[in-house]
Amino acid sequence: MWTLLLLGVALASPSSSVLVQAAEAELARATDLRLPDSPPPYLLSYELLDGQVASVEASFGALTSTDQGPYRVLRVEVRVGDYALDNGNFEGSFGERSGTTQRLLPDEDDVLALRREIWLATDEAYKGATEQLSGKLAAREGSTRSFGPDLYRVEPLVTEPVEWGEVPAEPLEELVRELSGRLVGRGLEEGRASARAWQGARLLISSEGHRAWIPTGYAVVRVEAVTRAEDGARLRDVRSWVVRDAASLPEREQMGAEVDAMVDWLVGLQTAPVEGDYLGPVLFEGPAALELFRQLLAAEISGTPPMELPPEDVGEGGQVPTARIGRRLLPLGWSVVDDPARAEEEGLAGGYTVDFEGVPAQRVELVEDGVVRRLLMSRVPRQGMEGSTGHGRSLGSNRREAMPAAVRIEPARPKGEGRLQKKGLRLARPTLQPYLLVVEEMEPPAVSEDFQVAFSGEGPLPGLTRPTRAWRLYPDGRREPVRGLSFVGVDRRVLRDIVLAGRTEDPVGVMDAAPGSQRFGIGTLGGLPASWAVPAVLIGELELSGSPGREQRVLKMP
Amino acid sequence: MNPARLLGPALALTALLGTAALARTLPPPDPEPDPLHLALQAELTRAWELLQAQPEPPYWLQVAVMDRRMRSIQATHGATGTWRDDRGRIGDVDLRVGSPELDNTRKIRDAGWFSDVPRARFEVPIEDQGGAIQLGLWRGIDDSYRGAVRQLIRVRANDAVKVESRDSSADFSPSPPQVELRAVPSVELDPQAWTDLVREASAVFLSYPDVHDSNVSFAAEDQVRHILSSEGTRLRLPQSFVRLSISASTTAEDGMRLDVYDYVDGASPGAMPDREKTLAMAHAVAQRVTDLRKAPIVDPYVGPAILRGRAAAVFFHEVLGHRVEGHRQKDEDEGQTFTDKVGQPVLPAFLDVVDDPTLARVGGVDLNGHYRYDDEGVAAQRVSVVEAGILRGFLMSRSPIQGFGTSNGHARRQPGAAPVARQGNLIISARQSVSYTELRRQLIAQVRAQGRPFGLVFDDITGGFTFTGRVTPNAFNVQPVSVWKVFPDGRPDELVRGVDLIGTPLTTFERILAASDQVDVFNGSCGAESGWVPVAAVAPDLLVAEVEVQRKEKAHDRPPLLPPPLPATTKAEVR
Repeated sequence: MWTLLLLGVALASPSSSVLVQAAEAELARATDLRLPDSPPPYLLSYELLDGQVASVEASFGALTSTDQGPYRVLRVEVRVGDYALDNGNFEGSFGERSGTTQRLLPDEDDVLALRREIWLATDEAYKGATEQLSGKLAAREGSTRSFGPDLYRVEPLVTEPVEWGEVPAEPLEELVRELSGRLVGRGLEEGRASARAWQGARLLISSEGHRAWIPTGYAVVRVEAVTRAEDGARLRDVRSWVVRDAASLPEREQMGAEVDAMVDWLVGLQTAPVEGDYLGPVLFEGPAALELFRQLLAAEISGTPPMELPPEDVGEGGQVPTARIGRRLLPLGWSVVDDPARAEEEGLAGGYTVDFEGVPAQRVELVEDGVVRRLLMSRVPRQGMEGSTGHGRSLGSNRREAMPAAVRIEPARPKGEGRLQKKGLRLARPTLQPYLLVVEEMEPPAVSEDFQVAFSGEGPLPGLTRPTRAWRLYPDGRREPVRGLSFVGVDRRVLRDIVLAGRTEDPVGVMDAAPGSQRFGIGTLGGLPASWAVPAVLIGELELSGSPGREQRVLKMP
Repeated sequence: MNPARLLGPALALTALLGTAALARTLPPPDPEPDPLHLALQAELTRAWELLQAQPEPPYWLQVAVMDRRMRSIQATHGATGTWRDDRGRIGDVDLRVGSPELDNTRKIRDAGWFSDVPRARFEVPIEDQGGAIQLGLWRGIDDSYRGAVRQLIRVRANDAVKVESRDSSADFSPSPPQVELRAVPSVELDPQAWTDLVREASAVFLSYPDVHDSNVSFAAEDQVRHILSSEGTRLRLPQSFVRLSISASTTAEDGMRLDVYDYVDGASPGAMPDREKTLAMAHAVAQRVTDLRKAPIVDPYVGPAILRGRAAAVFFHEVLGHRVEGHRQKDEDEGQTFTDKVGQPVLPAFLDVVDDPTLARVGGVDLNGHYRYDDEGVAAQRVSVVEAGILRGFLMSRSPIQGFGTSNGHARRQPGAAPVARQGNLIISARQSVSYTELRRQLIAQVRAQGRPFGLVFDDITGGFTFTGRVTPNAFNVQPVSVWKVFPDGRPDELVRGVDLIGTPLTTFERILAASDQVDVFNGSCGAESGWVPVAAVAPDLLVAEVEVQRKEKAHDRPPLLPPPLPATTKAEVR
């Protein structure tokens, strides 16, 4: 039924010629932009995101919201100066403008109306770019530092228009009703399912010669359930699916079964013990292994330097360095590759052939033999790097930064699950705990309620979100669920302490943003798709603390 | 004397105990069972009974659901967006523990900055599925109850630590339970017709080169408020708000951004202007933007002025209306301009002021501030605020103040906020009035008498704001769209820009000299501590002997550097 509904969808006819006509007309005029005693734009770039979106949410089997329709937004970027020194990559004081603006566009294909929106946005962006450049020059005045260039040159890309399908809300409504309906009658306090599907294209037209239609699309479904332990602790779990389009979602029965398993786990957790302060080996399996790598590794492989700040905002210490070539990140023999084009061929979330800046996606061998050898790059230059690797993406009007898209992590000598558990138990023997802690799931940053971790996200050493599914594995094979866990003092260095790893599993889709605190603010259904293929890993020693509940509800559940 | 003033705290307590007993009486059966009400009532009754066994049981519990359907379309530069049809429901729980004389809602004096107890809102599905609704409400009541008990501990301690309040009134007053289940009408709209209209009106601006940006939108919001309480109140109150709005903006050569916004509010689509009137509105807005762009800036000035009806209405809403909201009279952080002035003159003797939410229309115009019951389930009442210039009463929620023991149906809130006394339809009327021509003649006479170079006419306004607290100056700011200079020598009036009308309440009221026989209606939304609520104000043109204007906040950007792209049919594009 699910498949049939989606197959019945007609193709929408994109309004390619109207958008191109409007953007080209205004691009031609914008070359005349001049402010007195200020440089003219040397680069103008228009991104018109055009598509169809459906977003729905249901609670315990009943819809709470539904929304469907076209979405069309314009992003204008104006750069003044030149490739060596322009207004970009500089973050002025709060409230100061930049050379990038964004405006919603009318949905009707009216060249004049579109042109007027582009005209207003371009004017604002040019003025913002001029102010941003002056702020940057003022900040550099008297500086003893040397500065690299501001933008890589790229070959212009010209492609044919693409088509996309309509995104009806009804199948998603049915899906979230059904999935959230499975949460009824299980003693859950909260039970909701939400879904969003997006299909469209990004039209990139620039003064550099880009005339490219870049297809985009994803579907994300999340199911969240909350219950309470006997001591009042709030127990929460989330199941997420991120795929290329709604038709690529798993069969409903399979999704339902996963939701049922999540609820079974949560219900069982109500009477589970609170883990005390744990110090010992930890085995990360499945989704938890993905989160471990995604949260600790992304900043280490993304090469975009941080935004330059006014000296008063930096302090004496300067800005903290992030990714570094030559750093040992993983054990000997390990490799990390990001290959969006291959993922595109395989129909995976995060796959694409051209990034948001019109740069063809490259396969990048990031980590070889455990050491960082290359970095993902957008068009923002970095010393020692030759150019963009086609990984420039970001949300909204943010600077296009290198973002992992389709990461595959291969361990040196993968072992089976049994070997990992056995080794973990052996490592646990000399500790105070006669068991191995196995973490199977952790909160995705997008829906994390752990604000401490969220606010630590800007630096190079972000923490890890809380485990939502963890158990003690005893030497006799007994498994005991535990709850209330949080990681203590975890950073990228723990990746070097991986003792053993399993085989790299199939890629899994996630919604993400550029490394940093943005990842925690994208919302339940927001972000950009990516996929990660990672192995289960055993880490020799980690510290976790447990916290019991504080308050029980007064009223019995109806 | 206001009969409410006869109610003392003791009587209030007795009456409330009586109403608490009513909670055990089931309300009369609904002839057409409403699944939402059934679910809400079931959980309210269950929770109420269970909580009565707690050491600190609630003495009042109210559940409210705001059901909203918003259909809208907007256009810019002659092209439209997509017709939207959005639906949402938000649930509120209001729960009181302690006693009517002292409960958890009492304001903590000298509280820290972030000490407010978060309010519990609950998720309500847009589909009437009883189990899901009940679960959401259960969480809402439980969260509210635990928060209320914690807050009551703080309230009691605060009461012990602080000196006695100037106003020692109780925290809650009795009110009879209300049952009214109004049928929800089906409001039919033709999406294509509205889409065509906003597109056509929006295209008007393309022929005005000085208009840089513009928007025409139509929005119809069908609300149904559901209120159920432990006292037995059961209300289902449908109400529609429809707005056709037209806005345009430009940047003057000196960098001042100029926005003109015109709109028509109504209670049904039938209240909206027809095609011709809509197009005329668009042309008028475009022309006003064009004229304002060329208009000179007026310097800060003190002198006589006429506030035309809508400007006068907003002026009264800001300056008088907010200062007669009941809760401000016992909040010692408030300026309390009028707290001790009951029975004393506060306005010229020829002026009366009432706030009357029961009034649906004035002179054929639907009033935004009309409602049948307030957000505490109390029937709306007409309140005489000022009679012949003498202050008579305040707008009351169920939070009593000294001398005013009961609600007059003015507790209002945006969903998610705690209700407080707010304005509905504030109506200013004049016992003696003159024609507008005569009012202008009197203005010119004032200009001459004061030796001023000109007087001002505040033609229309976008809105305003006021500070009612003690920390900031107790001032107001009314933001006009267009202001005209009127000269004593017979020169034509001159449109000027760049000023806001400012002042302080008592001084300004003393200078009102006369009113015209024309009244105008301002419909809008008012934002205050209980969120945004729809309001109206009705007033005649007023002559004020002396007003003060200050320079308006302004941006400094140059106008767009390139000329706008223009339609091929109007003018060759300038490159």
